[in-house]
Amino acid sequence: MNGEVIEKVDFAPGRAHRGIEWMGMRRNPVQILHLCDRICGICGVHHALVFAQAVEQIADIEVPDRAYYVRTIIAEFERIQSHILWAGVAAHELGFDTLFYLAWQIREESVDVIEYITGNRVNYGIMMLGGTRRDITADMFPRLEQALQYYEGLLEKMVNLFLNDKTIAMRCKDTGILTKRRALELATVGPTSRASGLAMDVRIDSPYAAYGDLDFDIVLPDVYNSEGNGDVYDRIIVRIFEIKQSIDIIRQCMKQMPEGPVLAEEKYAKLLMNLKKASGEAFARVEAPRGEDMHYVRMNGKQEAPEMWKVKASTYSNQMAWVEILQGEQIADIPIIVASIDPCMSCTDRVAVVGQDGNAGIMTKEHLHRLSVEKTRRLQS
Amino acid sequence: MKLSPSFNRSLWVFHVNSGSCNGCDIEIVAALCPRYDPERFGIKLVGSPRHADVLLVTGPVTHQMRDRVKRVYEQMAAPKVVMCVGTCGQSGGVFYDSYNLDGPIDQVIPVDVYVPGCAPRPEAIIYGVVQAIAKLERLEKEVSS
Amino acid sequence: MRATMTPQELADRFIRKFGSRVSNIQVKERREGVKKLPQKTVWMTVSREDLNDAVAELISIDYPHLGVIAASDNGDMIDLLYHLQVFFGGKHEEICVVFTVQVPKSDPHVPTISGLIPGAVYSEREKQDMIGVTVDGIPDSRRIFLPDDFPEEIYPWRKDEKGIPPSMVKELWKVDRPTDRPVPPVAEPEPVEKKEPEPAKEAPSGGAAE
Repeated sequence: MNGEVIEKVDFAPGRAHRGIEWMGMRRNPVQILHLCDRICGICGVHHALVFAQAVEQIADIEVPDRAYYVRTIIAEFERIQSHILWAGVAAHELGFDTLFYLAWQIREESVDVIEYITGNRVNYGIMMLGGTRRDITADMFPRLEQALQYYEGLLEKMVNLFLNDKTIAMRCKDTGILTKRRALELATVGPTSRASGLAMDVRIDSPYAAYGDLDFDIVLPDVYNSEGNGDVYDRIIVRIFEIKQSIDIIRQCMKQMPEGPVLAEEKYAKLLMNLKKASGEAFARVEAPRGEDMHYVRMNGKQEAPEMWKVKASTYSNQMAWVEILQGEQIADIPIIVASIDPCMSCTDRVAVVGQDGNAGIMTKEHLHRLSVEKTRRLQS
Repeated sequence: MKLSPSFNRSLWVFHVNSGSCNGCDIEIVAALCPRYDPERFGIKLVGSPRHADVLLVTGPVTHQMRDRVKRVYEQMAAPKVVMCVGTCGQSGGVFYDSYNLDGPIDQVIPVDVYVPGCAPRPEAIIYGVVQAIAKLERLEKEVSS
Repeated sequence: MRATMTPQELADRFIRKFGSRVSNIQVKERREGVKKLPQKTVWMTVSREDLNDAVAELISIDYPHLGVIAASDNGDMIDLLYHLQVFFGGKHEEICVVFTVQVPKSDPHVPTISGLIPGAVYSEREKQDMIGVTVDGIPDSRRIFLPDDFPEEIYPWRKDEKGIPPSMVKELWKVDRPTDRPVPPVAEPEPVEKKEPEPAKEAPSGGAAE
């Protein structure tokens, strides 16, 4: 660190290592599905979805068409609540606490709808190998439509509050820049890579569930800002416009949903017996709110538990970008840059600061947050 | 909810995540939002354990976080109340057998209020905080007597 | 528009360049949804000496996105699977390529690909920790996810004697109530009165016949 400017960045992950993959290799696939929900609280249903997809490939389970659409609707609602959550956290890191509370109040509507469909606000437990455990029937559509109209009415306001605000623009433009080439080399995913100009979206590239039938385009920052350069402002743009994209996707799903069952095999004992005999290896990818989420499963036909299970959460790919984008930035900008990749909160524990001549000091999150808020107040006055 | 007259100051809460999936953390922050609005009772989240009365811990304690949780507990000034939010801190929950977890939270620091659930609803968390207030008052009476 | 190719063309290009040094090539497709659009995958096994050349060949086709490096314990060998994706960005044109590299446990070394794809460093560090493969030439070789005081020579994903021994597994649910504080009062269960079961009411249809 050179005065206020960062020179060298180091990052030590591992604070929340619970040994999930190792635990998964001792359990049967239905138990692993419930474990997947709790890998992450914000994007849990995507982990369950991708594990179900991988095992369905191995065991050759045919998923009914209606289940694809139910999965898509739930995944998109989770994306909406995750992006609004992030918008609130970003506002909090900048010092706009009112905006933080407003965003989380708006988020409650989508969490209410998720509770209406699945029964719980977090950890839904709705994915199952071969479909979903509950159906979204036609009499539930009016409630979903009400939530979608609520969000459509608010989108203009959100764009105004986040993107047209002068202070936010001053703090976020040209901060934390990640060029397109570096984003590609560091294997970043999700809104972080899209904000840098890389058109990478698993829903369009390798369509899964019902996305192959739907008509939507990738969201890049030039829908709003034609001079994007991969900074924090572009990431805000991508996430807010993805909320709009999600609303559109859910509407298309509700219109096109085919009839039929939602679960291929209702009896779990039979399902487990089939899985015990399944063997092979497969991987599946989905577009979680933070990026590409990939699970690799290998089963031999001799035991219930998979022989190998590898989880690649989306933040895993994005964390290397921190080392790159924090170089040369000021300390007061650390909270918003770190939050702009949208990590799961347990990763932003502590930051180690290395001084110019090598003496290290540890700054707590609270101290960094205070520095960030002070900078905003200075810019506003 | 009516605060008793002896409790005449606000309740400051510090939150520590000892390796959880963040579900309980989000419900804790959601419990502080305008929908449930505990700030009218003076309950707010602070950034340093030295200012806090109540410690909220989530997650099964991973090996790397164990010392940090202990240190945070020691930095808090008495009287203090520890709340364990979520099932993984109480009996492991889904993570019932693992090589990197150092046990439920009450093996590391003494816990006063347990809020079970995966994730517990914000109403349940607020009820837990109410119980914590009652216990804090009892502790204050003991200290002053 | 940049030129794309079908998965079979990609596989053929690798066969032409590497001949018999790539083996076990499979082209798979997975179709989901009502319209059944395909997700295309090419799997192939390469030797560890050719790994960097294979990745370089893929870069010359289109700079790939590295998903993850998965590893599996396979008896005497360790399988390392490099998941890469090319041709993203268009409409449903992406091809996923998987390079499987088999490494014997007696000589667990594999060259690094971080010279070609810098983003591979974290994944390679994780493999060093978790399954005990040494990555030659890696720029940063510290532990990544496991704690620093984790015992050496114990690799969580191994199924042989170097895996996690049962002594290291902690069962969290087996703890008892903490003993350093008074037990809170437990209310006595209310005595349940035993009531005579009411005589069964007559069925309505039977009653209507009266």
